Amino acid sequence: MNSKRTMTLNLTDQEMKVLEELSTQKDLSKTAILRQALRLYQLVDVRLAEGGKLFFEDQKKEKAELMVL
Amino acid sequence: MRVPIQIVECATSRPVEAELFDEVTVEHFLETQKEWRPVVLAAAKQLAQSGAPGQILPRHFHWDWSSKEGELQVLAFSFFGITCNAKLQGLMKLDLTGRAGRLPSQKGKPVVYVDYSETAPWNIKALMQALGSGQQYAVVGTRLIEAAVRKSIEEGFKGRVALHSLSGSERFYLEVCGMTEVVRDPTKQNLLWCEFTPEQAEKFLAGGAA
Repeated sequence: MNSKRTMTLNLTDQEMKVLEELSTQKDLSKTAILRQALRLYQLVDVRLAEGGKLFFEDQKKEKAELMVL
Repeated sequence: MRVPIQIVECATSRPVEAELFDEVTVEHFLETQKEWRPVVLAAAKQLAQSGAPGQILPRHFHWDWSSKEGELQVLAFSFFGITCNAKLQGLMKLDLTGRAGRLPSQKGKPVVYVDYSETAPWNIKALMQALGSGQQYAVVGTRLIEAAVRKSIEEGFKGRVALHSLSGSERFYLEVCGMTEVVRDPTKQNLLWCEFTPEQAEKFLAGGAA
């Protein structure tokens, strides 16, 4: 296991509420949620830098939304 | 991370010392292309010529680990390898983000997804038999799946692991590892989606699945 470093994170009430909701929904600790967010952010950033595109498609597959970070 | 583990030498049926590591480099990928792929291809040709049933034919003969070089530095992925006797015996790529359980009780909960897992061809009995040789080491695949479960626990996923099984490996994941057969996935060549619940993962790590 890689060694870990500690940091303090200041969140607004609303941000903390969302973090707590996600933590409950996903059955993950708040720390694990934030680590997931970092991994996802880096992955999307790498893919976009490689020339990839990120789309969200609605259920009818009629409308696609391009995401740019 | 480098930890000592044991695998089984088939010639003597005795455990031997091996090493599990996550510091996988492009050199390991090149080793698979140089040392593994020619053996897999030779065995596949031999099996096809002998009219072996389709499920025995290796479906991974075209895999190229070196295409994953760019993913080595991406946090969303994790790679594990096993060495023994100065040779690479197994390699695995895990996807740590964006995959959720499909079992009703696990729906929406994150899983560690085993994207690729391969053991060296000399550790696959059917391939070695096709080439008129014997299998060298056993339980390499099991040790890799154990590493996936431990990674899942480390990530806070409580041991949840999922994968799409190649047809020739379904028995291993379901009967040996004790994963649950969930659904055939039409978006992934109809491969079988198999999953560990936290309880199954715990049982597997305790050695009770087989």
